[in-house]
Amino acid sequence: MHRSLSFETFRYAAILTFLALSLIPTIWMMSMAFKPVAEWQAAGANLTWWPENPTLDNFRFIFGESGSDLIVALERTAGRPILASLLAATFGTLIAMVAGSAAAYGLSRFGSGGNLPLALIQLRIFPPMAVMIPVMIMWAFLGLIDTWWGLALIYGIVTMPFSFWLMKTFFDDMPREIEDAALVEGCSRWRVFTRITLPIMRPALASSGLFVFILNWSDYLIALLLTTRDWVTIPVYMASLSSSMTGQLYGAKAALGLIAAVPPVIMGIAIQKQLVRGLTFGALKE
Amino acid sequence: MTEIVLDTLGKDFGSFTALRDMDLTIRDGEFMALLGPSGCGKSTTMNMIAGMLEPTRGQIRFDGKRIDGVPMAKRGVGFVFQNYAIFTHMSVRENLAYGPKAQGMSRAEVTRRVSDIAELLQLTPMLDRRAAGLSVNILQRIAIGRSAAVEPAIFLLDEPLSNVDAAFRAVMRSELKGLQRRFSQTMVYVTHDQLEAMTMADRIAVMDHGRLLQVGTPLEVYNNPSDTFVARFIGSPGMNLIPARVDGDTAHMDGIGALTLTAAPGTAQVLAGFRPEVVHPDDDGPLAMGVEIVEHIGARTIVHLRAGETEVKAVLDAEHTAPREGQAFRFRVDAADIRLFDPATGAAMKRHG
Amino acid sequence: MTEIADIPPPRTETPAPPDREAARLGFRLTLPAQLLVLFIAVFPICMQIYISLTDWSPLDGIPWWRAHELWIGLTNYSDLASDFRFWGALWRTLFVMLVCVPVQFFLGLGLAILFVDEFPGRRIFYSVLLVPMMVVPAVAGYMFFMLFQSGGPVNDILSAFAGRTVSIAWLSDPDLALAAVIIADIWQWTPLMFLILLAGLVSVPKDQQLAAVLLGAGWWRRFRTIILPRMKTIIIIALAIRVIENFKIFDTLYIMTGGGPGIATETISVYIYKVTQQELIWGYVAAIALAILISLSIVSAFAIARLRRGS
Repeated sequence: MHRSLSFETFRYAAILTFLALSLIPTIWMMSMAFKPVAEWQAAGANLTWWPENPTLDNFRFIFGESGSDLIVALERTAGRPILASLLAATFGTLIAMVAGSAAAYGLSRFGSGGNLPLALIQLRIFPPMAVMIPVMIMWAFLGLIDTWWGLALIYGIVTMPFSFWLMKTFFDDMPREIEDAALVEGCSRWRVFTRITLPIMRPALASSGLFVFILNWSDYLIALLLTTRDWVTIPVYMASLSSSMTGQLYGAKAALGLIAAVPPVIMGIAIQKQLVRGLTFGALKE
Repeated sequence: MTEIVLDTLGKDFGSFTALRDMDLTIRDGEFMALLGPSGCGKSTTMNMIAGMLEPTRGQIRFDGKRIDGVPMAKRGVGFVFQNYAIFTHMSVRENLAYGPKAQGMSRAEVTRRVSDIAELLQLTPMLDRRAAGLSVNILQRIAIGRSAAVEPAIFLLDEPLSNVDAAFRAVMRSELKGLQRRFSQTMVYVTHDQLEAMTMADRIAVMDHGRLLQVGTPLEVYNNPSDTFVARFIGSPGMNLIPARVDGDTAHMDGIGALTLTAAPGTAQVLAGFRPEVVHPDDDGPLAMGVEIVEHIGARTIVHLRAGETEVKAVLDAEHTAPREGQAFRFRVDAADIRLFDPATGAAMKRHG
Repeated sequence: MTEIADIPPPRTETPAPPDREAARLGFRLTLPAQLLVLFIAVFPICMQIYISLTDWSPLDGIPWWRAHELWIGLTNYSDLASDFRFWGALWRTLFVMLVCVPVQFFLGLGLAILFVDEFPGRRIFYSVLLVPMMVVPAVAGYMFFMLFQSGGPVNDILSAFAGRTVSIAWLSDPDLALAAVIIADIWQWTPLMFLILLAGLVSVPKDQQLAAVLLGAGWWRRFRTIILPRMKTIIIIALAIRVIENFKIFDTLYIMTGGGPGIATETISVYIYKVTQQELIWGYVAAIALAILISLSIVSAFAIARLRRGS
């Protein structure tokens, strides 16, 4: 509607400024990840924006290959924390999706569990820090401290509000006629759910699953409290990449940060269309 | 009170030509319907008049003044949207006052206009109701009133009845026509429904594939369609068009019979056209076809006739006994009711005499 | 719980009517979620209430269920009232929220307005602008930790503008550290506001806006009278989400500053974390946590009730 040259100029100028500001931190980390030791240790006037001698040394270093110029050797490599993050996030997502979608279907179709929507929103409102004492005690009692399955369980519960609300809006949107037709044919409701509804909902399940996975993968606080050594996740492990002897291992941290940051960004872009729905608890569908 | 002139108006969207070289004069105070199937260019034309689209070629003039480049807010155009675009979060009063307020009129002037319009459109009792949830004919009145409050030079109406229940359309049509008389404003009405155009418009502009085919009063367009498209599009059902071979002043139609014409056209092959309503059952008639389907629609009966590949529809009124399906049906068509079309171009052939 | 009442009695001769089957399946489908909620909410909160009335610590060597041996009644709560570190943390949390959320809102809204209509590059710009919110918050914290080093790129850029070497110790100055944390939060979550508000803007009916234009309304009048009223709910949702999430602020901040220097950037979550992990007085932590849970419940119940009445 307002199409003048000056407006268009302003639009592009503003967007490009925002773009630069949003990209600089990420680009800086990428650049650090590929810098050799001498470059990432540089400061002030010696800083370079791009690696002058790009290298994969930082990645080799965090996976235990001592190809870099660093004298230190890592007590533990990044392999195990990456595995821990993957296992905890994946199984956490599975728990959230199974319990969340089943409940969403139960509510959407049969009106069961009318207390759930509000209960789950409340669950989301509370800062996790404020319920962690009992969780830590329970987890210790159940022997779940410092295990990926213990982490997966709490992830599943914490992100269930999202899977529930997302899937509820998807089920609400789905036309009933298809299910009714199958019911008339004599299928049991359970069969209709598993054989007809779920296959139709596959795209919705996939995007909700990815959304929940991103949330789980992004956790730091819970893993910080519930894992100590064997199954620490990437963000927790990252802190160990600095010591009083070596100072901050910027390059190594940047390399690990890049590994941690890439999957959610790709997934997030893949499910861009559903992001609004997920973030607003389904209140807004694009 | 404005005369609108479209002068060789054209619009391209990329390589697609939505409208080609349209010349049309809409007279002051006239109710002009732009009629055609979807994609015919009627909405494009209207959007250019409103200023939502810029023409690729040609000019639009209001009372002789070119308006290309004039922003839409300054054109003095009242626009009634397909779904009325009522501000449902406001009261009826706020809707009516929106234009006068936006144009910076004084509080007293705004109040005066709102009460005048509300009185005229019988909206006074519901001025303080929320616009959401009112019935469609009220919404239509609000939409028109909202535009009328800023006293536009012309009104553009974009298929305002297409979302209305069929049962309610007749009411809405007569109400709309009444409103137009009261405002005596130039109105351009876009529709794909020939019945709406026929019942409301002073003149109809029939369009297809970005081309203006014919402009005329409803009767002219109905009686003397300029080509086969108009012939088929106007009327329900449309005109019968049957391939015929002309010999002297007789047109021979294979398997049906021969028609007598008022004058002899030059060519040998023609499309003979006649309206379903001019089919007269006549046991001694020169034409005969088989009855395929008989539809009773109220007082009217539509008879689907067939002879080989040729189909003809006949509309009989109640005084005739309807033929039965499967029977043979003899009928005649008066020479004056026959229109001839060039089978190659589809254009109407000039009537001699 | 009506579902429980709906469980059919033992089989009778007549086959169960279909609604009975539906109720039973509905109950079974919602059961896992209900149990998980019970497991994470009801039991822990009871435990929390119990522990909060004691002076229990995991270091004491007695299991938590015997915490009553260390019963101190409401002492933890009265301690809380005079705990300046707690009130400081609460104030800081609210301060960060009061700065971040409005800034994110207006930046996001401005960006969203620029993105409403089509222009070349819109899709790709849109995707790229969303990247910050998808970056793992801990990693984002680390990014900003690097950026704000005194020999780091932020100072480098500032030096280029100032024409002399700038070496601001961002993260070790109490005020600047808080500013740095706020900048990081704005960087990461403005895209979320943008995303939601753009979706809201796009959902405002085009023809109503067009109708307003034709009636002579300028941009600002249209925005004020058509767009804003229609976006009210969406704006409330967007703000609510950010207020809720911002209150929990931990990951980015803790990695950047660890709550320091001193307690300069200590927010509620950071404070609770420190008391939990470093001071290990869990009875007291339970009291803090409960106090927060109760106040949040009251606030959110109030907010939800008001929203319900409004809509």
